[in-house]
Amino acid sequence: MPTHESMSTPEPTIRLRRLLHSRRNAWLLALLLGLVTLLAAATLLALSGWFISAAALAGLASVGAYGFDYFRPAAIIRLCAIGRTAGRYAERLTSHYAALGLLKDLRVHSFNALAKQPHSHRHSADTLQRLVGDIDLLDQFPLKVIAPWLWACSLTVLVLLFWSLLAPTLVIYAAPCLLLALALPLLTVRRGQALAQQDTCTATQRRKLLLEPLSMLTSLLLWQRWADKINQFSALDQAYIHLQLCQQQLISRTALVQQSLLALSLLALLWQGSILVADNRLTVPLLLAAMLALWALHEVLLPLCQSFIALGLSVAARDRLNQLTDVSAPKQLGKPEPAAPLSLNVWQLSARQNGALLGPSQVSFNLQSGDVLLVSGASGSGKTTLLQALANQLAFSGDINLNGLPYAEWQLSNTVGYLPQQPDLFDLTLAQNLRLGAPDATEQQLWQVLDDVALSDWVKSQPQQLDTVMGEYGAAVSGGQARRISLARLLLTQRPLLLLDEPFAGLDPATTQQVLQNLLQRQRNSLLIIVSHQQLNIPQANQLRL
Amino acid sequence: MPKLTSPTKPAQQLATLLQSQRKRLNSALLLAVSASLLFILQCYLLASLFASWLVISQQGLAVNSDQLLNTLPWLALCLLGRPALQYYREQLSLKASQHIRSSLRVQLLAKLADAGPAKNQYGNDGSLSSKLLEQVDALDGFISRYYVQRYLVLITPLLLVGATFIYSPLAAVILLVTAPLVPLFMILLGNAAAGASQRQLQQLSRMSGRFLDLVRGMPTLQQLQATERAAQSVATAAGRYRDSSMGVLKLAFLSGAVLEFFSALAIALLALYLGLGLLGILPWAKEVIPVPYQGALFILLLAPEFYAPLRQLGSDYHAKAQAEAAIDELSPILQRQAWQHPGTQQLTLSGAPDIELQQLHILTAEQRQRLAPVSFSIKSGGRIALQGPSGCGKSSLLYALLGFVPYQGNILINQLSLAQLERHHWQQQLGYMAQYSSIAAASIADNLRLAVPDATEQQLINALQQVELWPLIQQLPLGLNTVLGERGRGLSGGQLQRLALAQLLLRDAKVWLLDEPTAHLDGATAYRLHQLIGTLSQGKTLIIVSHQLHGLDWLDDVIRLPNPAVNPVGGARYAHP
Repeated sequence: MPTHESMSTPEPTIRLRRLLHSRRNAWLLALLLGLVTLLAAATLLALSGWFISAAALAGLASVGAYGFDYFRPAAIIRLCAIGRTAGRYAERLTSHYAALGLLKDLRVHSFNALAKQPHSHRHSADTLQRLVGDIDLLDQFPLKVIAPWLWACSLTVLVLLFWSLLAPTLVIYAAPCLLLALALPLLTVRRGQALAQQDTCTATQRRKLLLEPLSMLTSLLLWQRWADKINQFSALDQAYIHLQLCQQQLISRTALVQQSLLALSLLALLWQGSILVADNRLTVPLLLAAMLALWALHEVLLPLCQSFIALGLSVAARDRLNQLTDVSAPKQLGKPEPAAPLSLNVWQLSARQNGALLGPSQVSFNLQSGDVLLVSGASGSGKTTLLQALANQLAFSGDINLNGLPYAEWQLSNTVGYLPQQPDLFDLTLAQNLRLGAPDATEQQLWQVLDDVALSDWVKSQPQQLDTVMGEYGAAVSGGQARRISLARLLLTQRPLLLLDEPFAGLDPATTQQVLQNLLQRQRNSLLIIVSHQQLNIPQANQLRL
Repeated sequence: MPKLTSPTKPAQQLATLLQSQRKRLNSALLLAVSASLLFILQCYLLASLFASWLVISQQGLAVNSDQLLNTLPWLALCLLGRPALQYYREQLSLKASQHIRSSLRVQLLAKLADAGPAKNQYGNDGSLSSKLLEQVDALDGFISRYYVQRYLVLITPLLLVGATFIYSPLAAVILLVTAPLVPLFMILLGNAAAGASQRQLQQLSRMSGRFLDLVRGMPTLQQLQATERAAQSVATAAGRYRDSSMGVLKLAFLSGAVLEFFSALAIALLALYLGLGLLGILPWAKEVIPVPYQGALFILLLAPEFYAPLRQLGSDYHAKAQAEAAIDELSPILQRQAWQHPGTQQLTLSGAPDIELQQLHILTAEQRQRLAPVSFSIKSGGRIALQGPSGCGKSSLLYALLGFVPYQGNILINQLSLAQLERHHWQQQLGYMAQYSSIAAASIADNLRLAVPDATEQQLINALQQVELWPLIQQLPLGLNTVLGERGRGLSGGQLQRLALAQLLLRDAKVWLLDEPTAHLDGATAYRLHQLIGTLSQGKTLIIVSHQLHGLDWLDDVIRLPNPAVNPVGGARYAHP
C-alpha cells in the first residue's frame, strides 16, 4: 500500500492532506461513527414524528387501532436511541485517540526535523513556545474542517434522497435553499483564511510589544516611559481583540444567513408539502418526517460556519511549523572520523555571528593533541564566535584543517566537544542529564566526574543525590553549578577536541584551580581550547589574544 | 504588617471578574431565554399546523393553503428570529469577554509595574508574557459561553416542562424524572471527570514542558549525539500521555454519554407513550387517547431541546476547567499585596544626596527574611559597593531604595525619610542599571531617546563619546540610526552596557544604583567598564552590587552583607584595601 511507504519515510514538510494519513484507520472509524450518530439522531426525530402522526391517523380512524404495526417503528426508534448514544461515545473516543496519535506524530516529526538542522539554528524560547502551540492547533484540521464537511455533505445527500423517495417535487422546492445553506460557508474561505493569517501576525506582534517593555520594566518606570509602551501594547491588544470580534462576526453572520436559508427551505418544504397533501400525493405523517429530517440538519450544518477560520488557523500553524523545521542542510553521512592524535591548523579564520557587527578576523594558530590554548580578549572581540566556528556551528572564511584535511571532509560529531557559555540543563534528574553524554556510564563514573568538577560534595548534600531534578531551565541549580554539570556531561563524552567557553565563570579561585587541574589531568591526551577571562595557571598553555 | 489573606478559590475570583460586565451578560441571557420562548412558539405553530392538516386529510377534505398562510408570518418570525437572537447573544457575550480580558490585562500590568524589578518572582519575562496573553485569553470560553449556559441550563428546561405540562402532565413527569437523573449522574461522574480532566491538563502541560525543554536544548543534544534518545523520550512521553488520557476521557465522555442516553431514551419513551396513546392501546388507558395529536406533536418537538442546554453545558465544562486553571496561574500576581509607597513630598535633588540606612530590614510577602537588618550611611557623592553571598538581599536593598518594596527601619535621603517622598518624582532622579541593559530592538538613537525623549543629536553623540562608543558607531554606515536586534543583538555585552551608561548620563541622575552591571562580562571588559563607571560617576552618590572589585579602586567603601540564614543581625563593614 502506498500509505505504508509514506509512513516509513516522513515528509520533510507537513501537509494538511497528509495529517489524516498516518492514522487513517482511526480517523475513518471516527468519521464513520460520527456519521452513524448523526444519522441515528436524524432518524430518531423523523421517525418519531412520523410514528405519532401515523398513530394519530390510525387512532382517529378507529380508537384502539390494533391493526397498526407499531412494533417495527418502536423497535427502530429504540435502536436509533441506542445508536445515537453509543455512536457519540465511540466517536468521541476514537477521534480523540486519533487526535492524540496525530499530536504524537507531529511532535516526533518536528523534533526530528529540528534535530536535523545545522547546529547554528538557535531558536528563541518564544519561538519554541509557539511551536508547541502550533502543533496543538493542527488537530483542528481533521476535527473542525474535514469531519463537519463530510458529515454535513453526507447527511444532506441522505435527506435529499429521502425527500426524492417521498416526492421528487419536494426536492425541487426545498433543495435550493438547503444546498445554498450548505454551500454558504464556502463564501468565507478567503475572508476566514485572511482573518486567521492576520490573527497570527497580530498575535506575534502583540507578544513582542509586551515582551520588550516587560524586559526593561524598571528602567522604563524610572524614565516615565512605561505608560507609553504599555499604551502601544494596549492599542495593539485592542486591534487584536477587534480582529477576534471580526472572526466571531464572520462566523455569527454566516450562521445567521445559513439558518435563515434553512428556515426558507423549511417554509418551501411546507408550502410544497401542503400542495402535495392536498393532492393526496403525500400523507401528513410523511410530510412531518420530511420536515423533521430537515430540522435535524440544523445542528449538522452549523459547525461549517467556523470551519474556514479553523482551516485558516491550521494553515498558518502549518506554515510556521514548516518554516521552523525547514531542513536546509541534509545530514552528511559516510565521512571518515579523524583519528587521534589530532593536529589542528587554523589559518586566517574570520567569522561573524548572525547579525553581529563585529567578530574575529584573520586568526591563525596550530595545535596538537595534548596542547592547551587559552583564548583571551575584550568582550566583543569574538572569542565565542571563534569557538563556534571551531565547533563547526558557524560559517567561516579561511581554513580550519584537522589532520591535514579541511573540516568539511570529516565527520566531527564524535570528535569535537563544545561547552557554550550558557549551557542547557534539562528538566531531568542529575544522573539523566549526565547520561545524555554517556548513556552507559556507571554510577561510579558519574561520581568520579562530579568529583572532577568539584560538585560531589554538593550532590551528596542533596537529599536525592544523583536523582536531584534540575528543574525547568536548570532552575534548581545556580549558574556556576549548571556550568560545571554541563562540563561534567561533556567530559563523559570523551571527545578528543574540547572547546570550553568560560567554564570557570562564577567560581572562586581555589575551586577554579582544582577543577582546572582535574580537567587537564582527565583530558591530558586531548586538544583543549579554553576561553576564559580569569587568569588561568597553565604553564604549558599557548596563548591567543583577540 | 498586613496578614496574607487566605487564597480565594478560583471560582470566586472568576465571579468577581464578571461583576463589571454583569449587564451585558444578563442581556445575553435574556436573549437566550427569548430564543427559547420563540422555540416553544415555533413548536406550537408547527404542531397546530400539522394537527389541522391531519384532521382535514383524515376527514377526506382537501387541504387548502389557508392554514399555512395564517401560520406562515408567525412561523417565519420564529424561524428567523431565533438565529437573530443567537447572533446578538454571541456579540454581547464576546464584547463582555473582551472587556473583562482587556481590563484584567491592564490590572495585571499595573501589578507588575508596582512590583518593579521584583516582578521576576512571578516568572521570567517569557512566562509572564504568556500569562498575560494566553492565560488571560483562556478565560474567554468561561465568560462568553459558560456563564450564560449555567443559567440557561435551568431556565430553558423549566420553560419547556411548563409548556409540556399544559398538554400532558405525564409527559412532563417523564421529562422531569429523567432530568434530575442527568445532573445526578453529572455530579457523580462530573466530579470524577473534573478531577481527572484537571490532572489531564496538568499532564498535558507537563508533556508540553518536556517537549519544550528538549527542543530548547537541541544544540546541546546535537552536540552530545543524544537526539535520537531524546526523540524516543518525546515519543514515549506523548504515547504515555495518550494512554493515560484515554483512560480519563473514557470516564469524562461517559458523563456525556449518560446525558445522551437519557435524552435519547426520553425522546423514545415519549414517542412510544404518545404514539401508543394516540392508538389508544396504552396498557393502563385502553381505548382512550390521553394526549391528542396536536399536544403530542408539540411535546415531541420540544423534547430534544429539553436536553440541549445540558449537553451544551457538558461541552462548555472544559471552558470552565480551563478558566479555573488560568486564574490559578494568574492569582499570585492578582493577589499581590498592593504596596503603595506612602510619601507625597517632592524632593528635587540639586546635587548628589546623602543616603543613610538605619536598621533597614526587608521581609518577603511570606514574612521570610530577605535582607537582614543593616545600617550604613553614604555621604553626598560617596560611592560604595555591596557584596555578600547570593540570596543575602543585595538586590532587595536596591529595590527598597528604588521605592518598589516595603521595608522596615529607615532610609534617609538628605535626612528626609524616603517613605515621605513621592515615589514617581523620586524615581525620576535615579539612575538604575542591571545585568541586562534596557535595550530595545530599535535604532541606537531611539534607544538613547527612550531615556530622554527630547535629547538632541549632539547630546547623544556627547554621551556616546563619554562612554567611548562613538568611534565604533561613527564607523557604522548608518551611524546613530543603526538598528539593533532583539535585546540589542549586534553589539557585544560590554558595548550594550556602555550604551546603557550613555542612557544614565543623558538622564543626569544624581543617584546611581547599579545591580551587577558586569556580571556576565569577562574580566578585562568588566575591568574597563568599572573604570569607566568610576570616571563618569564622579560627584554622584553611587551604590554598586558587584561580585568582583576588579577595577573598582575608586570606591569609597565596600559593605559586606551577611548571609541572612547564617547571621541574622549585623552588617560588617571593612575599608577597601
